Amino acid sequence: MKHSEKAEIFNKDEAKVNWHDKALWYVREKRDNSAHKVKGWEYLRELGSGIKANVLSNLDEYLIQFESNAKKNGIHVHWASNAEEHNEIVNSILVKHNAKKVVKSKSMLTEECHLNPYLEKKGIEVIDTDLGERIVQLAKEPPSHIVLPAIHKTKEEVDVLFQEHLGTKPSQGNPEYLVSEARKHLRNKFLKADVAITGVNFAVADTGGVVVCTNEGNADMGVHLAKAHIACMGIEKIIPQEKHLGVFLRLLARSATGQPITTYSSHFNKAEEGKEMHIIIVDNGRTEQLSREDFRASLHCIRCGACMNTCPIYRRSGGHSYDYTIPGPIGSILSPGKDLKKYSSLPFASTLCGSCSNVCPVKINIHEQLYKWRQVIVKEEKQPIIKKAILKTAGVVLSKPGLYDFAGKSARFALKNFPKFMIYNKLNAWGKARDLPEVKNDNFDEWFKKRNKDG
Amino acid sequence: MNGLKKEIKMGREAILESIKKNKPELLTVPEIKKEIFAEDINVKEVFKDNIVLVGGRIKEINIETIDAEIKESYANAKRIVSTSSKTTLGTVSVTKNTDPHTLEDIDLAIVEGELGVSENGAIWVTADTSIVRALPFITNDLVIILDKEKICLHMLEAYDKISNRDRNFGVFISGPSKTADIEQCLVVGAHGAMSLTVFLV
Repeated sequence: MKHSEKAEIFNKDEAKVNWHDKALWYVREKRDNSAHKVKGWEYLRELGSGIKANVLSNLDEYLIQFESNAKKNGIHVHWASNAEEHNEIVNSILVKHNAKKVVKSKSMLTEECHLNPYLEKKGIEVIDTDLGERIVQLAKEPPSHIVLPAIHKTKEEVDVLFQEHLGTKPSQGNPEYLVSEARKHLRNKFLKADVAITGVNFAVADTGGVVVCTNEGNADMGVHLAKAHIACMGIEKIIPQEKHLGVFLRLLARSATGQPITTYSSHFNKAEEGKEMHIIIVDNGRTEQLSREDFRASLHCIRCGACMNTCPIYRRSGGHSYDYTIPGPIGSILSPGKDLKKYSSLPFASTLCGSCSNVCPVKINIHEQLYKWRQVIVKEEKQPIIKKAILKTAGVVLSKPGLYDFAGKSARFALKNFPKFMIYNKLNAWGKARDLPEVKNDNFDEWFKKRNKDG
Repeated sequence: MNGLKKEIKMGREAILESIKKNKPELLTVPEIKKEIFAEDINVKEVFKDNIVLVGGRIKEINIETIDAEIKESYANAKRIVSTSSKTTLGTVSVTKNTDPHTLEDIDLAIVEGELGVSENGAIWVTADTSIVRALPFITNDLVIILDKEKICLHMLEAYDKISNRDRNFGVFISGPSKTADIEQCLVVGAHGAMSLTVFLV
């Protein structure tokens, strides 16, 4: 299904769309306030972008350095070319520890690899422990936002979900009550878990350690209680030196939620005595994206979600309309590289206003890449006949002044005099869910000529 | 398509080979000009404001009064783990070999922070000072004792200061555990500590 079709489903509940739109814009405003308080913010973004560009240009060397430093600290390092290999490695570690219960903190990579259904088929209990992720897991849905996974759900919906799955009392969606119940439910899961799986926000080449950021403390509750920790990372999570965390941790939370830093920024360098730590380094299409000169900067992404919060299309269409692990503007430049046909409508789900590029903490030229993907897609993928015909006609009309004048006059006449059903119908996409403008008698050209005559 | 269709080979060598083939020409790492971030501010006062901003409490006290201060803030705490020698309030002792599962119903943990960061109210706590890694997370409430002379301006300075440490586990903690995952309503006390009080000495 195309993005526009899925967006139409989301748009059926107008009150909810309006709430979604406003809630995300509020997060965007918090980002602005927070960023403006930092002296040298723009320079900080330049540094972030520059460091990431260096990383991509020397990625193989950094990965080798990272691996060797991690191994010196007793960490087991694994490499996976694709999702299947990644899932098999996770499973082999679980088998080794005879693990039946796994707690997971947020990791978009494991979502991308569809790790949960793979492990569940093998009879392993996998519990997502970030509250938002737990909510969507109970609802059997994917996250709709990378930082706010359940932003599409109302508190009343969460209330009903918790009544059904956690046996809570009806509370009309009281957030304090629901969070306290979730805390009890998940604490029990943390205490019983055999293995903890986490994502990785940053992997530091010169120390061989990884950094994981959460607000809830769920990554730490999982890791410090379980026998083994598996950290899953895409190859692009590498940064050269630990001091560069001083750049990225200043950018990340401010861009994501407007907080000055996440509550917990945990640095894992070595397993606790008697425990094991594993790191899985995953490609899954990333080196292919690296080969595309126009699109490789998409690999700079530090997953803050700022481009989603600011995007007028995302805010009004919801994360699920993108049907990709990473939704929103950044997802729309990553996904065509994975499957051009399946995601061919996503680069068009944008007004190209450029707001995403303006807020991106590592200065990815997102809107330019969206435009470039459109050019690739128009060449490679079949376009709808109506769209082609309209653009062809527009080309002819715009090249002939007389014809253009006639077309304008006809349109103005039609808008004023035609009955409603002829204007607001399936053939006119511009009449969908919006009122067309009231027309004046003249166009600019006519008004200008008259004005000169009247002197 | 400008992408190259490649055969998928297994693991490490395939990934490294593919990066080598596809990476752009080497770009240098930018040098960080710290002077651009220099600010003439009272780092201690800004630190205090930021602790409150992130949902914590902070009080500057005289070291002699610390037991009384903690008692006043957490009058009902019974099971208390302290890994700091600055207070005598601990009732449950821990060692490196303590099973963290036994700390599940700890009321209060008292640990020392090594370093505070003015710009975001974060405090650096390591496995060496918390002894049990799970302690600052699994406890119901958390007290961090911090030397008021050890507050730096921003994260870049913080990483300079902690660069020569023993690297096992360390965490920047900024306020109590929190979530806004239900309709963006901020609720303090998700999985980690329900409250954080910082005592500057």
